[in-house]
Amino acid sequence: MKYLLALAVAGITVWTFMVPDAVGFQMPELARIFFWHFPCPILASILLMVGAWFSWKYLKTNDMRWDIRAIATMELGYVFCLLTMVTGIMFSQVQWGTWWQKDPRQTSFLMVLLVYAAYFGLRGALTDDHRRATNSGVYALAALMPVLFLIFVFPRLPQVQSFHPSDSIMKGQIKGGYAYIVMALLALFTIITVWLYRMRVRAGVLELKLEDMNHGLENHSGDSAGTTVVRPVPVSHEG
Amino acid sequence: MRPGWQAILRKELRSEFRQKSGLITTLLFSVFSVVTISLATFDLTVSPQLAAGLLSVAMLFAAIVALPRVVLIEEEQGTGDLLRLTARAEDVFWGKALYNLVFMTLTSMVLSFLFLGFTKTALAIPSLFVVCMLGSSAAYAGSITLCGALVAQASNRSALAGVLAVPLLLPLSFLAVSGLRVALDLKGGFNINNGMIAGFGLLCYGAASLALGPYLFAAVWKR
Repeated sequence: MKYLLALAVAGITVWTFMVPDAVGFQMPELARIFFWHFPCPILASILLMVGAWFSWKYLKTNDMRWDIRAIATMELGYVFCLLTMVTGIMFSQVQWGTWWQKDPRQTSFLMVLLVYAAYFGLRGALTDDHRRATNSGVYALAALMPVLFLIFVFPRLPQVQSFHPSDSIMKGQIKGGYAYIVMALLALFTIITVWLYRMRVRAGVLELKLEDMNHGLENHSGDSAGTTVVRPVPVSHEG
Repeated sequence: MRPGWQAILRKELRSEFRQKSGLITTLLFSVFSVVTISLATFDLTVSPQLAAGLLSVAMLFAAIVALPRVVLIEEEQGTGDLLRLTARAEDVFWGKALYNLVFMTLTSMVLSFLFLGFTKTALAIPSLFVVCMLGSSAAYAGSITLCGALVAQASNRSALAGVLAVPLLLPLSFLAVSGLRVALDLKGGFNINNGMIAGFGLLCYGAASLALGPYLFAAVWKR
């Protein structure tokens, strides 16, 4: 599977260089970073919402497998958030001549990144598995409102003037070879995401089984030890 | 009979008036932040846009300093389990969130008077200013009460409460700045409608935080 995916990535990369340079860009040949930038925020938004849905399922059922699914989705969503930022910053430098130009969309996505950085910070601060799953699940649900606001509402507010086009697809600005490549990359990224997600969930479930097995062994050895109390040092009754 | 939200609210108000530590801390924080802003801008004329941003940031940090305490203190004093046994999670949330709302409204009033006085900023639309302050206070109360519960059993909980709350409240700060800059100045060319939309958005955000809070709080509190 991984060889097929690597081949597909290589094929599409070559394809991106076969289409003519984009018109209306400062450096048309470098504007190809857009192909890699475009699918990232879409997948990041979807993954973060699916992660919140899995968290909700965990809160309803208390089944740790939902938490594994939630963390797998959140981790992948976070990776795509980072890729969005990196490719966006590169695009900003190529098109507008500065790495960071305080564009409201760029800033709002940075805020999304911070929201989910706090999610992982919370997970790291809790030691009990179920408490970690519950609290991070609740945070994922609470974070959904500001994240939806930042991704969908904020860039469309009348007072927000952004360099970012928000309706390139709706207005049919991406067409011809460009549209095919963008769609092909979106499909490829989706397939890679599903593949990585399945691997992460499988690893998480195996880890869970291993932990259960260890608990079982600990309990079993606890039973066989009987009621004898082993004291490593003599207990003094003086004083 | 289990105590309702009124009993929790009364308990919080009584313990605050007995100790006054939260009140004094927040009041001092408000004075310090306004004096610091005044000192940093002593040779500048603070534009309404800048004033709106500074006031929003001061309010955000005042909320983060003051509000999580109401939940964290239960774990620090070891009274959380007793509260879990005697009261429903929803009542605990409402009692604590309403206490935080009262506390935050008082803080925002004090902070606003001090800020407007020290920076010599005049109000253009007082009603919009009040709406922005009330909407922000409601959203801070709902979100930070929940964040307090999320970190109550974590290590380094006070710092973590701030880390969780700031990203959740950043969109709110944007709305607050949009509303406040219109409330502070009409001559700057800001659209009144945009200010009204921001004020209404703040109220909706506050209402949504308080409405969702009990369900999310119950999931954390019952364990």
